Amino acid sequence: MKKNGVMGKVVTLAILGTILLSSIATAAQPELNAYTIWSERYAQAIFSAFTKDTGIKVNWMRFSSGEVQARLEAERKNPQVDVVFGNMAEAFVNGIPKGLFEPYKPQGAERIPDAFKDTDGYWTGVAIDPICFMFNTRFLKDHNVGAPTSWQDLLRPEYKSQLQMADARTSGTAMYRILSIIEAMGEDKAYVYQKKLNDNVQIYTKSGAGGALPIARGQAAGGIFFLVDALEMQQKGYDVTISYPKEGVVAGIEAMALVKGAKSPDLAKKFLDWASTERMQRIYEGSQINLIPSNPDVKISNPGLDMSTVNVLPLDIKWAGDNRDRLVERWINEVLR
Amino acid sequence: MRSFDKSTRLDPALVPLWVGLWGFLGLFVLYPLVRLIYIVFTTDGGVSLINLIKVLMSWYNRKAFFNSLALATAVSTTGTFIGFLFAFAVTRIPLPQPVKWFLGAVVVLPFVSPPFTSSIALTMVLGPNGLLLKLLHAPDFNIYGFWGTWIAETLTYFPVAFLTLTAVLKAIDPNLEDAAMSMGNTSWGTFRTVTLPLSIPGLANAFLLLFGSSLADFSTPLVMAGHSFPVLTTQAYLQITGMYDIQGGATISFILLVPALLVYLLQHYWVEQRSYVTITGKAGAPSVVKGGRFFAEALILTIISAITLFIIFLYSIIFLGSLMKVWGIDNSFTLENYVYVFTVGWEAVKDTVLIAIISTFIGSAIGVTTGYLINRKDLPWRKTLEFMSLLNYVLPGTVVGIAYAVAFNSGPIVLTGTMSIIVALCVSRYDATGIRATIASLQQIDPSIEEASLSLGASRFTTFFRVTLPLIMPAVTTGMRYLFVVSMTAVSATIFLVSVRWSLLTIRILECITELLFAQAAAFSVVLVLIVFFAIGAIAVLFHIIYPNYYRQLRRL
Repeated sequence: MKKNGVMGKVVTLAILGTILLSSIATAAQPELNAYTIWSERYAQAIFSAFTKDTGIKVNWMRFSSGEVQARLEAERKNPQVDVVFGNMAEAFVNGIPKGLFEPYKPQGAERIPDAFKDTDGYWTGVAIDPICFMFNTRFLKDHNVGAPTSWQDLLRPEYKSQLQMADARTSGTAMYRILSIIEAMGEDKAYVYQKKLNDNVQIYTKSGAGGALPIARGQAAGGIFFLVDALEMQQKGYDVTISYPKEGVVAGIEAMALVKGAKSPDLAKKFLDWASTERMQRIYEGSQINLIPSNPDVKISNPGLDMSTVNVLPLDIKWAGDNRDRLVERWINEVLR
Repeated sequence: MRSFDKSTRLDPALVPLWVGLWGFLGLFVLYPLVRLIYIVFTTDGGVSLINLIKVLMSWYNRKAFFNSLALATAVSTTGTFIGFLFAFAVTRIPLPQPVKWFLGAVVVLPFVSPPFTSSIALTMVLGPNGLLLKLLHAPDFNIYGFWGTWIAETLTYFPVAFLTLTAVLKAIDPNLEDAAMSMGNTSWGTFRTVTLPLSIPGLANAFLLLFGSSLADFSTPLVMAGHSFPVLTTQAYLQITGMYDIQGGATISFILLVPALLVYLLQHYWVEQRSYVTITGKAGAPSVVKGGRFFAEALILTIISAITLFIIFLYSIIFLGSLMKVWGIDNSFTLENYVYVFTVGWEAVKDTVLIAIISTFIGSAIGVTTGYLINRKDLPWRKTLEFMSLLNYVLPGTVVGIAYAVAFNSGPIVLTGTMSIIVALCVSRYDATGIRATIASLQQIDPSIEEASLSLGASRFTTFFRVTLPLIMPAVTTGMRYLFVVSMTAVSATIFLVSVRWSLLTIRILECITELLFAQAAAFSVVLVLIVFFAIGAIAVLFHIIYPNYYRQLRRL
């Protein structure tokens, strides 16, 4: 009978051990904790440069835009990170009324144009990323069609079930695709158009970049992407063609913000100051990160990033953030149905 | 059976054990669930059904509900069937030992590799412009939707059925089959009247496990289902991660509870009402395992060979992908993807292995105890305990993950960002297989064997460790293997629990895939699979060290 008690102790100890291990794990020195939506290579380059410059260690994780937002919301009462770096501006706008962020105007952000930062200092834009078309060059050749240069071109019968693009529910890319179409043709027409476009879609991918590899490998003909992802495919050596619709596209703003209730607000502010400088945005080109710097002082030499011939439409970030949920609902109900 | 139960009814030594188990389940199953239900059924602080109504009003969610059921039914049917074929081949057809070992190793591949990688390999093989379609000059078909998800989930989950059913078929006393044969029954007749009926608890368990797995799986549909075939888990996941709507996502997954619980109850009562005692301790020496007729054997072997070859084909693509510079463009050999795994990804590898080892040991201790107490001891609320112990498994991972994130982020117990939250989740969620396997194999063991030991003067402790445990050891190791594997590969639940301090391999693989680092993702997968195989081997060795006399004891019975 006593021996059965031994087993009880084993199980109880096991459970206690589980709980005890947590206290060991939580005892850590002050380090900056951050979420980012930037791909690992990009984030690695930025955060390690910050560590090199300041000696502050950064613990960071990469998630999709929506996941970052969901985590911030779940952790609201006990924030796990101090800084969000590189989420889309409209996601920050969406999170402000939910009390996820704290306003802070970083030193060094003065040179960043007002269009790329929040007037109250809730978020600061660090990079600009336009929407573009990316097609498999061989597919275009085999089907004897030129690269699409208009939104209407995407409705060509050659592309039936051949396009891959991001799902509006998870992807920032998809949101900016929808915003581009709305800015180019007005909201109601945009949804009629998207319903037609739906016939040519093979699959909507979870992440914005998700369709890029299938297109590069010829599993699909093409799709709509952020320029950064399209240029990345070219950089890797895949033969893809990038083009823009003449009616215009909008450009995403990648921003950063201080998390409300951050455990190390001082380190966070130090990071935000540092990341607003010219020095940080110069890392893009050096590390082959194909983003357009938000700081006009940072010069770029990559012709792929030259927007002078592209019709980039103005975007009301506030409107986009406030209407995001409604636009996605509408997409589910009118486009997917 | 009853008399045995009653004799230990008020055993005071079991009280702390019982209280401990309830404490564990209360904290890691009930508490998060209550917090979750609170989220679902309140709006602005007041109780309301608005969330539920909002979700049910959406045509897309209703479609997802029926899709989930259809998919789970299809997957568990085909998965159980294929699993049974493999298990039958391994236990009843006289194949050379290396072939059996090889089959077992290949079959677990889809199960032990992270779901994202197998799905992606499948699209490369059967998807648009797919390798196999080109090879066979087959016309393109759109794999995204029901077909792709069905194939991928069947491949991923039939190994669960295989492992469960192998344990069950091994436990069936071959003397019974011998007896049927010697009484003039044909091998098909023997199969139909002896082997199959005795496998029913195993089949039902396998079906339940597969149904639950398919209902709860979100990663396969996320890659394969696309927008044309929405299922509830992806809907819940997308609602949370895409619409930033935890309440909506929690509500959608709450709806999943209904079919999941229904299937569980059905299976439960169906299996419970029959007796499947086959290890009675009264049998003579077992003879050689008898197989079926030549034609049936050839058919089974053909089917399983085709499936095995397909899996090998799929995984060689992942393996090759991990060794190439740029897949499809620059196919030159490189090891840099592995360098990446062992430098940039090293933290995740270390964390994952540590978490899996801790989960396996804590989980199997709790699992065996739970299964044993439920089946052998007539303790109060044991049905409730059994139900609770399976609840986290029945719940979709996304829901459990979010419930944990909500419950342990604030309030009396704060565990976010720690390793224990991940361990607690793995244990409470994936113990189910161990518990079910323990119960299933205890159902086949006549309590009179234990009674004999007790009446010969052995203590209950000695009886448990020297008699019961060795007899159910296959079930225990099945549970351990399963726990280790799923702790290594879990995605849906842990995705909300990984933190800047504790990361996991599968999440890294998902990130690699999202970031189009296919080669790195493939290398991560290969490393993960190797670790799992190593661990499975280690568990087998451990088992032989603890119970060197196991097989001899069995033979003596």
